[in-house]
Amino acid sequence: MEAFFTIANTDLLVAMVRLSTPITLAAIGAVICERSGIVNIAMEGIMIVGAFFAAVGALYTGNPWIGLLMGIVAGGIFSLIHAVATVSFHLNHVVSGAVLNILAMGVTRYFMVLFFGHPGTTDPIPNNLGQLRWAIPGLSKIPVIGRMFFDQTPIVYFSFILVIFFAWFMKKTKVGLHIRAAGEHPLALETIGVSVKKMRYLGVFISGLTSGMGGAYLAIENSASFTEGMTNGRGFIALAANISGGWNPIGAFIASLFFGFADALQVRFQVGKVFDIPEEIFIIFPYVATIIAVAGLVRRSRPPKEVGVDFMIEQEGD
Amino acid sequence: MKKGWRILFVMMALLVLFVGCQGEEAAEEQPEEQAEPFLASMATDVGGLGDKSFNDGAYQGLQKAEQELDNVEIKVIESKQQTDYIPNLTGLAEDGSDIVFAVGFLMESAVKEAATNMPDTYFAGIDIGAGEDDPDNFQGILYKEEQAGYLAGIVAGMMTKEHADKTDKLNDANVVGVVLGMLIPPVEKYEVGFIQGVHSVNPDCKVLSVTSGSFTDQAKGKEAALAMIEQDADIIFHAAGLTGLGAIQAAKEEGVLAIGVDVDQNNVAPETVLTSAEKKIPQSVFLSIKSAYEGNFQTGTKVYGLAQDAVGISDFHSFDDMVPQEVKDAVEQAKKDILAGDVTIETSREAIGR
Repeated sequence: MEAFFTIANTDLLVAMVRLSTPITLAAIGAVICERSGIVNIAMEGIMIVGAFFAAVGALYTGNPWIGLLMGIVAGGIFSLIHAVATVSFHLNHVVSGAVLNILAMGVTRYFMVLFFGHPGTTDPIPNNLGQLRWAIPGLSKIPVIGRMFFDQTPIVYFSFILVIFFAWFMKKTKVGLHIRAAGEHPLALETIGVSVKKMRYLGVFISGLTSGMGGAYLAIENSASFTEGMTNGRGFIALAANISGGWNPIGAFIASLFFGFADALQVRFQVGKVFDIPEEIFIIFPYVATIIAVAGLVRRSRPPKEVGVDFMIEQEGD
Repeated sequence: MKKGWRILFVMMALLVLFVGCQGEEAAEEQPEEQAEPFLASMATDVGGLGDKSFNDGAYQGLQKAEQELDNVEIKVIESKQQTDYIPNLTGLAEDGSDIVFAVGFLMESAVKEAATNMPDTYFAGIDIGAGEDDPDNFQGILYKEEQAGYLAGIVAGMMTKEHADKTDKLNDANVVGVVLGMLIPPVEKYEVGFIQGVHSVNPDCKVLSVTSGSFTDQAKGKEAALAMIEQDADIIFHAAGLTGLGAIQAAKEEGVLAIGVDVDQNNVAPETVLTSAEKKIPQSVFLSIKSAYEGNFQTGTKVYGLAQDAVGISDFHSFDDMVPQEVKDAVEQAKKDILAGDVTIETSREAIGR
């Protein structure tokens, strides 16, 4: 039990934030996308594409900010394939998402060979965002909270800002309302003269941008090189965070923090040898916790009514 | 308008096929005019070429055979997922390979099945042992990772305590850490060897360890290392493939030292990687090809260790002046003792009570 108290410290909470950031970013995207009526299981693939192009940008230009931008844009562009397939071609959302995840693996490997001459992993990125630790004067001195939220690296701050921004955006703006309507009652939206198609495109595109940023976080901020498969299921965890967070940016953020906490905790349990059980139990712990959270909370949270339902309208002269 | 979209979609589908085909073969084949060349080939595990570890090592062994032996051609197929293993291995045999290498412990059942299906082709598996029931055309190649881990452990054990004053990257806490990928035999042997090496020179040293459960997840490796650095670990050894790159990154950011694995990883972070526990795969792959080429392929398991100069630790590079002669002497002495049989190194956690 003594070992237990040595790990229950601020470091654990800082690690929670650090581990949850890529999931938070993808989960915000999942919220917006599903609210617009499109199921997006392709976030895993979008993240890996974002991670790859962020690494390419940072390596070739030597400027991690250009890398970040490239990662975000690449994620956005890649997500448009999903939008075209599901919104314009009325393809089943899950099928399209699954295909994109496989495509992402192939595309990144292909470009790895093209740019670097070999698959696997890139060279270390000398200038990465992990080197920039922005301690906010004053706030970072607050005990516990200060180190958790106000002494972090750039993309972590961006994720906080995006959570707040999108919570406001979805609730208070007209476009946010239209996106929500596209997922709840698309026909009504179309009737008042707003294109459901456009709103759904926008929803998917935003999820691409944020997931691309989540991927970039892994490659150029948390680590300093791209490795194939480095997302390791975080895109799917984000999907779970979106559901247990009740299709709401702040809920999704809290759910992501929960997963990050479980992951940070299991690593420290292993270090401290708190329980004498096989490693495998620790390794699956965060995932089991996620399943329980989703199963326990999903009954209380309600999905957008028309999510995953195709919207087709007869148009004159087409 | 709609038609245009359709065409675009078809083109994208074609692009997918194109990308899929391109990714398959990374190695160049050189046609030769001589009759029926000897074809040596390998299928990587999911880590793929460019892992700066055993896949690359095996490929270097093939390249060496291509250069040094007459009329030898080589071929590589990369596996994207575990379900590719059997088709890739069988496919290489069907393409006329004389010897096919499977790389990595995780390909064990696949390579044995392929060897049973294709009895006229020789198969060899790196990090894979051969049992009595296995087919006659299969050779297992194993390494004594525990010896490499042991030598690295001696360096870590001495540096973290007696010589902690030599650099500000070390502290007086007498704690070191190990990050593991999946807990499979080669990884376990590295860890167990390392622990014994540390304790042989520094019995009180606390050795922490974390199993990340993945060989490709850098963020997990980093977190594991950070959690140990929080507990005052000042040297982080990893046996975790690409996951370990994250551990090295953590050591770099926190200003402590790291020990690499499989190949000399000093170039990953020259100011952080003290040394690496090496396993010299190219040489063993070359020897295996040569034996098949000369017609005396041996079935069963071949174990490579210090005696064949196939394991060891790499140079200290920029740390060469910092590491005292005493430590280097201790490593040399341990090598002699191991070769003379004066030191036995256990290979499982059970045997050392962890």
